[in-house]
Amino acid sequence: MNKDCSRGIARSKWFVPSFSLVVGLAILAVNWLGGHPGEGVISLGVLVAFGLVVLLAGRSETIRGLRGDGRDERFAQIDLNATAVAGLAMLVALIVAWLVATARGQSGSPYDWLLAIGGLAYVLAVAYFRWRG
Amino acid sequence: MKNKVRALRVQKDMAQGQLAEAMGVSRQTINSIENERYTPSLPLAIALARFFGVTVEEMFDEQGL
Repeated sequence: MNKDCSRGIARSKWFVPSFSLVVGLAILAVNWLGGHPGEGVISLGVLVAFGLVVLLAGRSETIRGLRGDGRDERFAQIDLNATAVAGLAMLVALIVAWLVATARGQSGSPYDWLLAIGGLAYVLAVAYFRWRG
Repeated sequence: MKNKVRALRVQKDMAQGQLAEAMGVSRQTINSIENERYTPSLPLAIALARFFGVTVEEMFDEQGL
């Protein structure tokens, strides 16, 4: 009867594996340019393995949600909450790293820049979503 | 939120998976709604109400928030 409730949320099961492959190839390319092709090959291997695991894993809701083909509105909310938790963990890690670097007499860079970018992105996002209604 | 989704589904002799398929969501989402762990969006709530031929107010109890 109604197939609209997951419209625009679900995505192809190839999305995450393809994204992993593209990121792996990009890492390989920059490592190659930087004179460390071996590290690039290892990174590509890890990302390709991750993509294959996600692609070929079973039909559990968690795997399908991560993969994208089992997403609905509830999983979109789970994804949003998980993203917020990941962002918070990143923020805490950056603050701790900045404090440690500063206490050691170092400049605190690039943690200060990353914190500034995070803070600015948050404020801009709040302004945008408030404006959008 | 308290709701009558399970009662209406059982009344129709449907499995959670069948209702999920009809609504375009996962079986786990139907299960979470029935167990009051997840409050559906307005479009899904309306779709559920229409599917069972009741109003949203009849299906969901706002006192049970």
